[in-house]
Amino acid sequence: MSPRLLLRLHRIGLIAMAYFSIFYMLVNSAAFPIIAGKTRAAQEAFGHSVTVLGATFAWLLPLPVRPDTAAGYLQWRGYGFFAILFAAWGLFSACGAVRRDEDKGLVESWLSSGVSRLRLLATRSMFFAALSAEIVTVAGVAGWLGCVIAGTPADVAGLVGESAALWALTLACFGIGLLVAQLVGEFRAAASAGGAVLLLMFLLDSIGRSSVHRAPFTDISVFSLFNQSNSVAPGGSFDLVATILLFVIGAVATVVAAAAFVRRDVGSGLIRQRPRRATEVHEASANPLLRIPVMRGLWVRRIGALGWTVGMGVTAAAVVLLVNATATFFATTPSLSTYLRGLAGNVHTVLLALIWLSFAQALLAILSITTVSRWSSDDSSGVLEMQLAEPIPRWRVLAERTSELTVTVTVISFVAMAVILALAPDEGIAVDIGKLLVATALLIPFALTFAAVGALLAGWRPRVAVVVLSTIAAISYLVFELGPLFKWPAWADNLSVFQLYGTPLITPVFVGGLVAMLAIVVVGFGSAGVVLSRRDVAA
Amino acid sequence: MTSAIVMQGLTKDYGSGHGLFDLDLEVAEGEVFGFLGPNGAGKTTTIRLLMGVIHASAGSATIFGLDCDRDSVAVKRDVGYLPGELPQFGGMRGNEVVTYLGGMRGGIDTARVKELSERLELDLGRRFREYSRGNKQKLGLVLAFMHRPRLLILDEPTSGLDPLNQQTFQHLVGEAKDSGATVFLSSHVLSEVEETCSRVGIIRGGRLVSDMTMDKVHELRFHEVTLEFSGNVPDAAVRAAAGVEDVAVYGARLTCTVHGGFDGLLAAISGHAVVDMVSKEPSLETLFLSYYKQ
Repeated sequence: MSPRLLLRLHRIGLIAMAYFSIFYMLVNSAAFPIIAGKTRAAQEAFGHSVTVLGATFAWLLPLPVRPDTAAGYLQWRGYGFFAILFAAWGLFSACGAVRRDEDKGLVESWLSSGVSRLRLLATRSMFFAALSAEIVTVAGVAGWLGCVIAGTPADVAGLVGESAALWALTLACFGIGLLVAQLVGEFRAAASAGGAVLLLMFLLDSIGRSSVHRAPFTDISVFSLFNQSNSVAPGGSFDLVATILLFVIGAVATVVAAAAFVRRDVGSGLIRQRPRRATEVHEASANPLLRIPVMRGLWVRRIGALGWTVGMGVTAAAVVLLVNATATFFATTPSLSTYLRGLAGNVHTVLLALIWLSFAQALLAILSITTVSRWSSDDSSGVLEMQLAEPIPRWRVLAERTSELTVTVTVISFVAMAVILALAPDEGIAVDIGKLLVATALLIPFALTFAAVGALLAGWRPRVAVVVLSTIAAISYLVFELGPLFKWPAWADNLSVFQLYGTPLITPVFVGGLVAMLAIVVVGFGSAGVVLSRRDVAA
Repeated sequence: MTSAIVMQGLTKDYGSGHGLFDLDLEVAEGEVFGFLGPNGAGKTTTIRLLMGVIHASAGSATIFGLDCDRDSVAVKRDVGYLPGELPQFGGMRGNEVVTYLGGMRGGIDTARVKELSERLELDLGRRFREYSRGNKQKLGLVLAFMHRPRLLILDEPTSGLDPLNQQTFQHLVGEAKDSGATVFLSSHVLSEVEETCSRVGIIRGGRLVSDMTMDKVHELRFHEVTLEFSGNVPDAAVRAAAGVEDVAVYGARLTCTVHGGFDGLLAAISGHAVVDMVSKEPSLETLFLSYYKQ
């Protein structure tokens, strides 16, 4: 198990995290004078606006501290967001290190070479600890450099403290991922279960932050422990105890994971289904859905689709509850009452639009990327070759894939809409059903826009499709976020798919954006069909 | 006899000398053709060109008169295909994979699926990821044979199968041949080809180096002979004997290879006291290797 091989196994996460960390931290600190203005008065006014805005996003990020300074802004925008990003990285890296390596036969190979299970897990953990320490450091240095460029250097001790907290959070999530991955036998199941644990912890912290009443068990959330520190911001503090607790959580989870690893069989999880019947089956499946185009793909991926549907439904429910809590928080905070009165329309509706549609867009973009990832792996794994061994043209494979995704996105979106409609009245939120219907329907071309670009990439160069599409999605999101701050021209803003979607719950439908999305969908899938028909499969 | 497969100047150039070059080959309807070659020789490339999965750099291939590339959908109606390695179908059960891919074809002969899975002793109720390598291969065979295709294209079909199931496979190929189907199978295990094929093509470095009937292959056969003498070893007479080659002497023991009949060797050793004589028929593998040495 050479460091070179370990480095290779982590290379995608390493490269992506390094580049993104540097870019994101530099932009959010160095650009501060451009965004906030160069005079002290302008920066104070900006800080006040961000405080108000930060309260709106309290469900997502910790409340800003001294956002009138580059360091304070970096604390809020940089480290607030990085908590989510690094937690996810830690979790999925751990799930991959356990389950993907076993799927590839690497674990069996290492163990057969005389390496003990404990040593194997310890080596992987220590390597990731070293790797994540480097990325956290790189992020901190980029942030410090950005603040220097902005002309207001950040406190180095504060940066070190916050970096330590971020590292501890990453390792805690890596430990949780290691533990969850011991329980189940597949990467997807491990990633889903681990993701659910993190989502629960995030929601606990989110509710605790944005509600007047502190939710129970908030302190067990790793996000809550991380957010105890905000030492980059002037006047902020570093919570040593909370950080040590994060390290302890990571260490304990890793030790328990090691115990589980020693106990279980390689290639399976600790939780195993009891072997069923002894009789053999020699008949083809009688399931009629497997014979119907589109339905067969949906059936094969029914568990994943169900997971997404439930996940989006739960998220929609949480958002509805969060909207009410956030509105209450606004109403009980004197400095925010002005902001509340400044909003056009019903406050609850506006907050619902801002929060729910942001969530829905982000989740559906991720769904599209994961779907494109499957299309690419179908090519390299030979599934596409087996499909094409049947008498069906290539364009039909593409058409079935597109239809499956369309049905999935439609079901997911409308189930979430139904959840909102069911819960909103009880929460006192007035929802315009027509607008919600339109906003939900528009999520379909939104998701398909990413999928169309992905289909073209998967048809052209399947091995790089996911990386390129993820980059496009990330840039699209950054344009959406940074465009208004930098006051970019409309055409530049409209390069973002998120921007093309608009805000259909509170403003009229962005017709130009819809036309652009539909054009991308048609051209993307059309070109994908041409490219796929001309390309060698799995070559 | 009409041709099931015709390849003319078929080329797939991957650069740096890799790929398949100027392959001219015909396989008649009802024939069982073995496509032999070591790993990386171009067997799978040829098969994937026939299946229309990859596109030729030059030349053409037809199956039952239809272009493998342009008419690939129509071609596949008549073809049963076993790839060199089955893809991961993950959590799907064996019978779900059968119905899933059968559904794409447009219909499933359930009785045939039952017959095949019983003969191959394959439990279709288990999940694909639980299958051993051999069971995955059996599933691949069920998928290839289940619609009684006119042409079977099989890439290393006995890979991972135990001897009993290899025998079942040979029976299946024999039955397919008896019903008039054509079989094109690739292998680097010559013994399986010997059991099932009527003609073989040998490919090396992307080029067809030989195309011969099994009778011709058998004609190429030789015997490895070891003789032990109680007295003098007549090595000079043996070396001079017709059809005898590779003579070596180790004390009282002499080894040689004999091509054709034994008359020359027997005449050379007549009058000498032979205490032991062992004659081994070499495997096709040995033939194959000696062919490549040329």
